Amino acid sequence: MKFVCLNCETYMNFEKVEKPGESTLGVFFSCPSCNARFSMVTNPGETQMVSALGVKLGGRTVAAEPFEMTRGMLTEEAAAAPGQMAAYLNKKLQGGQPAATVAAATPGAPEEKPSSGCPFSAMVAEMGLTSGPKPGKGGAAPSEFTWSADAKEKLDRLPSFVKPMVQSSVEAFARKQGYRTITLQVMDDSRSESSNGMTWTPEAEKRLENIPDFIRPMARKEVERVAKERGMATITAQVMDEAKDKFMKFM
Amino acid sequence: MAVERDLKAILGNLKYSDDAKVLKQILENTKQVHARMASIKHKLVVMSGKGGVGKSMTTVNLALAFARQGAKVGLLDVDLNGPCVPRMLGLHGHSLAMGPEGMIPPVGPLGMKIASMDFFLQDTSPVRWKGPMDVSPVWLGLMEMNVIREFLADVVWGELDYLLVDLPPGAAADKPPVVAGFIPDLAGAIVVTTPSEVASDVVQKSVTYARDMGIKVLGMVENMSEYRCPSCGDVNEFFEGNTETMCEMLDMPLFGRIPFDRKLARTFDKGEPLLDETYPTIQRYQEIAGRIRTLLDYKRVLADKL
Repeated sequence: MKFVCLNCETYMNFEKVEKPGESTLGVFFSCPSCNARFSMVTNPGETQMVSALGVKLGGRTVAAEPFEMTRGMLTEEAAAAPGQMAAYLNKKLQGGQPAATVAAATPGAPEEKPSSGCPFSAMVAEMGLTSGPKPGKGGAAPSEFTWSADAKEKLDRLPSFVKPMVQSSVEAFARKQGYRTITLQVMDDSRSESSNGMTWTPEAEKRLENIPDFIRPMARKEVERVAKERGMATITAQVMDEAKDKFMKFM
Repeated sequence: MAVERDLKAILGNLKYSDDAKVLKQILENTKQVHARMASIKHKLVVMSGKGGVGKSMTTVNLALAFARQGAKVGLLDVDLNGPCVPRMLGLHGHSLAMGPEGMIPPVGPLGMKIASMDFFLQDTSPVRWKGPMDVSPVWLGLMEMNVIREFLADVVWGELDYLLVDLPPGAAADKPPVVAGFIPDLAGAIVVTTPSEVASDVVQKSVTYARDMGIKVLGMVENMSEYRCPSCGDVNEFFEGNTETMCEMLDMPLFGRIPFDRKLARTFDKGEPLLDETYPTIQRYQEIAGRIRTLLDYKRVLADKL
């Protein structure tokens, strides 16, 4: 923030900061031409805003202490003596009803079932979850394509939040290839198609399998980037060699 | 109107100077963060988007896994309002010690250096700041960001192979991606989720937002994948979801799956963490840490194996 002396048409100089009271700052300015002086006084919010910046107005004469702001801004209550919470809890427990009594007295509360010996299996069973195949909840969007039974089943097994995206992606691939029926093979082929529209030779694909599976997508992208830099649309063994050379340089 | 026109003319002839030295100090603070972080090889943030997915448990166990593999590890808990890492590692009640070059962090299991807001608080007291924070959420946000800046700049981390930063929960336009954004040379973010569709939905948002902020999202860890009943040994899924497909859609690897493990969780609750590397769930963390290490070194892997 700067102030302008309109009489002298110049910026006023920052002079000093004083703390006239709690949560307030007095920031002094003077005009270098006419020597007019004034002080801007901050309200508590403005004062805190300056503190939160972690700076000292006018600069520092000594280096900042480690965690100066954190330690300076924590209230004394936050750094309370040990045992404060224990005392609070003790008071609460002694002064109020025990939690169990409150629960038992709640009208309409369901009666607790006797233990079956395995509460977790029972809970999971109640949730209707098993370790078997997961049926998808979301309904398939209307489609211009015919989905074979096994392809449809595979789509339906996907979680509802990804099903529309997968369906759209597979159908876009089928449309591009001129297919009318979507089979498992079409689904697999749609996954293999590179998002960059590049073709991989079988030899290049085989070499890619040397890379651990969890970084293979990243490797694929890196190789495709190398091919793109060289204006090539097909990933061949030669492109793989060039990519390998490129990464050797980083070692 | 005349004054306004005159002011414009006046300002046109004046040269701005930072005589209150505010900008200068902000730049110096940033330089200090960069200087402190320069001795750390890999800086990783662990984020979730959704709260309650076991982010801190994952962060702590990944840090322990790296340390078990012989790496020098630091763990920074920047969940200012819910710091739990020190308690999990049996360091609750410890504090940072003042040293000539800054604050020296306590050393936890396997030689890990730990920093947390918990070290500034006594017992179970919540964080309370001086000032009218209730009337100014903007001020509170600024304040918290600068506290995190102090954690990055003022702790004497020394030479580290990995610094894992446990971010607070939060999704889209929230603190986590912003915090991650001011860690220099950040290697990337590890995202923790559960297979729950609700969690997955929120996690996708945070991944998108992190990427918008230019943060590299390295991959995902699925926590609470299944539950093994301690009474009968039955293994069941906790949630209905498909993290693998979500990772495919988000174009990121799934580093691994961690079961809900009551025995392991209890040891951390007590502050006496189980460290036995032959324990099955700990082995899973070891595998995930190995994959993260490979991913961070992917250029070497590509040069070797392509």
